[in-house]
Amino acid sequence: MKLKNMAALLLSGVMALSFAACGSSKIAPSDVHSVEDLDGKTVGVQTGTTGDLYISDDETLPNVKVERFSTGFEAVTALKQGKLDAVVIDDQPAQAFIRENEGLSILETEYVQEDYAICFAKGNAIAADVNAALAELKADGTLDRIVAAYINDEGKTGESYVSPADADHSKGKLIMATNAEFPPYEYKDDSGNIIGIDADLSRAIGDKIGYEVTIEDMKFDAIISAVTTGKADFGMAGMTVTEERKQSVDFSDSYYTGKQVIIVRS
Amino acid sequence: MNGLIDEFYRNFINESRWKLLLSGLGVTLEITAFALLLGVVLGFFVAIVRSAHDKTGKLGILNRLCTLYTTVIRGTPVVVQLMLIYYGVFASVNISKVLVAVLAFGLNSGAYVSEIVRSGIMAIDEGQFEAGRSLGFSYAQTMWYIVMPQAFKNVLPALGNEFITLLKETSVSGYIAMEDLTKAGDIIRSRTFSPFMPLIAVAVIYLIMVGIFTRLLALMERRLRNSER
Repeated sequence: MKLKNMAALLLSGVMALSFAACGSSKIAPSDVHSVEDLDGKTVGVQTGTTGDLYISDDETLPNVKVERFSTGFEAVTALKQGKLDAVVIDDQPAQAFIRENEGLSILETEYVQEDYAICFAKGNAIAADVNAALAELKADGTLDRIVAAYINDEGKTGESYVSPADADHSKGKLIMATNAEFPPYEYKDDSGNIIGIDADLSRAIGDKIGYEVTIEDMKFDAIISAVTTGKADFGMAGMTVTEERKQSVDFSDSYYTGKQVIIVRS
Repeated sequence: MNGLIDEFYRNFINESRWKLLLSGLGVTLEITAFALLLGVVLGFFVAIVRSAHDKTGKLGILNRLCTLYTTVIRGTPVVVQLMLIYYGVFASVNISKVLVAVLAFGLNSGAYVSEIVRSGIMAIDEGQFEAGRSLGFSYAQTMWYIVMPQAFKNVLPALGNEFITLLKETSVSGYIAMEDLTKAGDIIRSRTFSPFMPLIAVAVIYLIMVGIFTRLLALMERRLRNSER
C-alpha cells in the first residue's frame, strides 16, 4: 500500500515538473546591443562557418563563450529558449530565420564584413583592366542583375548572364580557377556546367576586356597556387580578401560584400 | 612522410588543438561517469520492482510504470531523447548541459541495465529463494543476502558491455552543442579540413578508454570469483 502511495506521489511530482517546464514564462531580451556587448556572453554558431572561425579567434572578445551547433537552426532554437545570448551567422540564412521566428532580430551593426574579390598573380597587368571592367559592370547594373538572379527571397536561381552575340574575344582566352562547390557563387548545374555569380561575372568581365573565359574547377586551397604558378590567369571563388592571402596574390576591387550578422532576442 | 608530420602538426600542435581533445575527453568521461551512476541506480531499482512483481504478484502500479519506462526508452534513439530533454523538457530553462546529458544518458542506460539485472535475478534457482525464506529471511533479506550477490556476479560481463556502449553513445552529445571528444574532433576538422587525422585520433582515444574499462572489469570479475574456490 505504501508503495502505491509513493508511486502516486512520484507521478504527480513528474506531472507538476512538466507543467512548470511547458508553461513558458517570457524570456528576457538579450542584453546585446553592439559587437562589444558580446564579451562575456554565450554566443551560438554553426561549427566551421566563418562566423565560428572569426568569433573563436576574436581578440577583442576574450571572455566570449562560443557554443558550436551542428546546424544554424539549432543555434537559433537555443537562442529562442534563452540558452544563448546571441547567434552569429551569415546574413542570408539570418534573414530567413528572423522571418520564421517571432521575437528575434538582427543587430544593425554587422559582426564582420567579408569582401569577395578576384585574385591575380602578383604584378599581373590584367588586374587594372579587370578593375575598370568591374567598375563599368557595377555602374550599368549588370552586377546587380547577376546577383539578383542567384540571391533572392524565393531562393530561385534566375537566368544566368548571356554573352552578347557580337562579344569581342580577339585577345584570346583567360583561365579562371575556381572551386565549384560554393552556391550561389559557383556550383555545377544538373548537366555539370559551372554556374553562379562568379561564373557569370567572369564572363561579363571577359566580354568587356576582349577575352573568352574558360573555367577550371579545382580544390579551394589549390586556387591560389594555380594563380601564382601561372596555371590560371585569375582566381574567383567567393574568396574573402585577407591579409594572409594578400602576401601571395593581388586582389581586384571587391565585387560583393558578404556579412556575418548577430541575431538577438528582442 | 613529411606531409604526414605536417598534417599532424596542423591538426594537433598548431594553436594547441590537442587541448580541445583533452577537454573533450574530460567532458565525455564526466558524462559517462555520472550517467553510469544514475543508470545503475535506476536499473537496479526497476529490476527489483519488476522481479518482485514476477515473483510475488505485488507492486502492480509500480511494475506497470517501470514497464512503460523501459518500453519508451528502449523504443526511441538516444539522440532523440537527448534533444527532447534539452529542447523540449527544459525548453524555457537555462540548465547546465552536463546535467541534461547525464539525465538523458542515465535514463537511457537505466532501461538496459534493468533488463540485464532482471535476467540475472530470474536466473537464480528458485530453490535458493525458497531456502532463504524457510530459514526465516524476509523477501527483502533473501534478495539482499542470497539472490543479489549471485545475480550480480552473473550479470557483470553484460553490465560491462552496457557501460562500454554508454561511453561510446555519449558521442552524440555534440547535438546539443556540448564539446565532448567527438565534437572536439569535429571542431578540429572544421578548422584544418583534414578528413582523416582528427577522426583517427578520436577513435584511438575511445579505444584506449574502452581498453582500460575492460581491464578494470576483468579485475573485478576475478575478485568476485574468489568466493567460488
